Amino acid sequence: MLDTLLSGQLLFAAAVLGALYALIGLGLNLVYGTMRLLNIAHGDFLMLGAYGAFWWFTLTGISPLIALPLIAAGGAGIGLALYALVFRKQLATGLAPAVIEARSLLLFFGVSVVIQNVTALLFSATPRAYRHLDTVYQIGQTAMTGNRIASLLVALAILGGVLVFLNRTLFGLEIKALIQHREAARIVGINVSRVQIVAIALGFGSAAIAGGLLSMTEQVTPFMGFRFTIAAFVVIIMGGLGNILGGIVAGFLLAVIEIYAVTLFSAEARSILIYGAFVAILLISPQGLLGRARR
Amino acid sequence: MATDRNRQAMRRILLPLLLTLAGAALLYGGGLRAGPYWQVVALTLAMWIALIQSWSIFSGLTGYVSLGHAVAYGLGAYLMATQFRDYPVWVLIPAGGALAGLFALIVAIPVLRIRGPYFVILTFGLAELVKFALLRLETALGASSRLLFGAPGTTTLLAWMVALAAAATLLRHFVGLSRFGRGLIAIREDETAAETLGVPVTRFKVLAFALSAVIPGMVGAVMALRSTYFEVLQVFSPTISFTIVTMAIIGGSGDARGPVLGALFLVGLSELLRGASPQLYLILLGLCLIAFVLFAPNGLSGLLDRRRK
Amino acid sequence: MLRRQLFGLMAGAAALAGISSPALATDPVRIGYTIARTGLFAAAAPSQEQAYTLWAEQVNAAGGLDVAGEMRPIEFVSYDDESDPAKAAQLYERLITSDNVDLLLAPWGTPHHLNVAGVVERYGFPMVGNTAASVMIREVQPGNIWFPTSAIPDQIGPALAQMLHEAGIQSVAILANVLPYSQENLQFLTPALQAQGIEILMSENYPPDISDMTPLLTQVRAAEPDAVLALTYPADAFLYTGQARELGIAPHLQFLLIGPTIDAFGKAFGPAADGIVTLAHWSPEQEAWPRARPFFDAYVARFDQEPDYLDSALAYMSVEILQQAVAQAGLDHDALRAAIANGTFDTINGEVRFDGVQNAITPTAFVQRQDGRMQLVWPPEIATAPLVTR
Repeated sequence: MLDTLLSGQLLFAAAVLGALYALIGLGLNLVYGTMRLLNIAHGDFLMLGAYGAFWWFTLTGISPLIALPLIAAGGAGIGLALYALVFRKQLATGLAPAVIEARSLLLFFGVSVVIQNVTALLFSATPRAYRHLDTVYQIGQTAMTGNRIASLLVALAILGGVLVFLNRTLFGLEIKALIQHREAARIVGINVSRVQIVAIALGFGSAAIAGGLLSMTEQVTPFMGFRFTIAAFVVIIMGGLGNILGGIVAGFLLAVIEIYAVTLFSAEARSILIYGAFVAILLISPQGLLGRARR
Repeated sequence: MATDRNRQAMRRILLPLLLTLAGAALLYGGGLRAGPYWQVVALTLAMWIALIQSWSIFSGLTGYVSLGHAVAYGLGAYLMATQFRDYPVWVLIPAGGALAGLFALIVAIPVLRIRGPYFVILTFGLAELVKFALLRLETALGASSRLLFGAPGTTTLLAWMVALAAAATLLRHFVGLSRFGRGLIAIREDETAAETLGVPVTRFKVLAFALSAVIPGMVGAVMALRSTYFEVLQVFSPTISFTIVTMAIIGGSGDARGPVLGALFLVGLSELLRGASPQLYLILLGLCLIAFVLFAPNGLSGLLDRRRK
Repeated sequence: MLRRQLFGLMAGAAALAGISSPALATDPVRIGYTIARTGLFAAAAPSQEQAYTLWAEQVNAAGGLDVAGEMRPIEFVSYDDESDPAKAAQLYERLITSDNVDLLLAPWGTPHHLNVAGVVERYGFPMVGNTAASVMIREVQPGNIWFPTSAIPDQIGPALAQMLHEAGIQSVAILANVLPYSQENLQFLTPALQAQGIEILMSENYPPDISDMTPLLTQVRAAEPDAVLALTYPADAFLYTGQARELGIAPHLQFLLIGPTIDAFGKAFGPAADGIVTLAHWSPEQEAWPRARPFFDAYVARFDQEPDYLDSALAYMSVEILQQAVAQAGLDHDALRAAIANGTFDTINGEVRFDGVQNAITPTAFVQRQDGRMQLVWPPEIATAPLVTR
């Protein structure tokens, strides 16, 4: 048992899964943190990214990894269009955050239903899949499939890049300032709508990238997103809404539960463990693991 | 003065009572006469009205949005499906309500400390937890699916469901008028202020939460009889919770009219468009939801009020 | 000139509607069904509906459906049942009582069939089922519904155990989804394996939303079974196959319950899917069934993907049976019921005849992907290739 627990194989699985959870949580968190928008369509943007990668690969035969910037741009574009059409006005009316949260939840639920069914109408609900980078590499005792390594590396690179951007660049610091001290940020002259646009682009773009990565290992269907929306919410609520670092920690924690707790208990208890841990963490610490980002 | 009070009593008590009864009679009578297909449509409509009114007792009045009401429905349905062979239906329906209410009561105290979006997702997580726990139980029992033969026919189910819808509507209306209901509204406006004004905040929230689960439990128990096949995953589906919230928003949850309007609107729209294109129906539904939140945040009942003014 | 253009337009419109001109004169035969276009099963249902679509197009192109000698075009009346079995029952009631359809096709999935069975029984409306597979179908009152499937768990268990035994498999590891079809299979498979003297080294359940199987599969690898029996649904079939491959799990034989028969599975794993055994009783490779290959080719040509060897084949079989019964008996319910109940039908899956609600001819069978082709490997009487073990 101890051998198994300490094996590189479980560590690799936890890392791949954790990076993915952290990545989908990150996008949701940025959008929430800067605008108080609860994007329940997050997983559907992931699904769009997965279709993007599928069609790209099927039509061109070129690696979808090359197309990731394009896929991200597509996700960001749709996000920005939504922002311009729907959310900019809502955000400008100076509503209380609680009202924005409630409304955005419903708005995005509507968006989610529309996206899923437009996709089903366009591409049919038939599951799609393709084969890419499926060579298995053996490193010591640990076996790794190429596409899972690629997923891990891309996700880690984006997570790292965003963290550096938020902490080391002036613009990133503006985003953080807006997340933490909304009113103060406005007063010191931060261009709030510019920050919001960047946050939208980052948030929706990263969701689409996560979808592109997932499409290499999963079947793609118009309804695949919901699972990931739930995962993303569990992650950012566990980490504390708007708390970027907390979300990343929670993403990896969730993967650790999924891999290691299952090894210790049983696979059958997997979902009970995950939701149990989620509920328990909230009850103990009502603002998530690392607390809500300060306002 | 006396006539004034009489008129007020008329408007607030007698009129809603009569309207509800008339609506129930119309739904039941109309359903009976319109043939088997429309009976089921009437049943569906009554089901949503019962669920949304109940949801609204807690979420509409306090502003705590619950995304976990599928649990109450599922528990009632589960009780019915597992005990159907051993106990009469008239015992199981109230027992389903009691079970759901009891469950809500137990989880209420820890859960209701959590607020805002945390509360929304927590109720969702809790619902999934219960679903997967029961799924595991069913697997352990070797009964991953169950057949229910010999359930009462649609007309009987329709009668019960309409009664539940009427009961939920009246409950929602009278709770809204009571001191209890005003306390809940005060919690929605400002929880801290309500507490300083002497509203027993915790007790009221817990009570409302439990109360809002009872009828959905009974609804679940009745609906389990509609299908000859029972599976945990289906009766605990998050879609139920999402649909409740959607209909409540479209209808407006300011008073007892909203849920009726919301359910009528969506069930009607779905009947209208089903033949044409289901995906188009859902796309339109999504667009409707967006439009309502943007342009009529108080829902259909809010629109009616605005017109009257 | 203008008139000719108009005629051209009309012909074009008729072609678009899928109706060939000779049939225009007669009333269409209205055929109703519901399918899960949204909800839980939406991704699984197209494989069935596409088989219906293909059939209707083929029949219409050939001049229409033979209704006891009269050729009439087919017109579908279909609804979305939102993956809700009770809604399906309601809509079948609508199809029968208010749309007044002439014939019914089946919805997707076991729960839906079981619910609709009550409706067709009440109205005495014969319907040939397809994608339902559970021992529960035997509790359905015979008379108006028939199940061409042979993928019934109490027969799968013993057949699988016997096939494994004959392949020299002495030990297995079982992984089972907790969803009903997997669990029902598990229930019959376990005693059948024991009866064949096959050792069960491990048997673990997992929930449907599992997102990584590495912990389970490390256990499997450590147990070193001769065969892995994964009682999957499609989503976890992908997960299992990808991760088992990563871990280098290469037992003599791998069996997956549901998943490998869908087109996307072959596209996702390519040669890595070779050798995987799964549940299906149809293959285009069987030359004794002359209709099998043309169906496969027509399906691929029409939808640019392979049919689901289980669901698409069953759906197509059900319409073939209906078509042949209607040719003989017409649309009268009593005559049609008798024709279906007593007839022997020539389908893409060979001959089919019903005994009560069940198919009395087609045996419970398994297929294996070999060089990208789905070969029947069990039972020997319909096998198209020998079972390959590693």
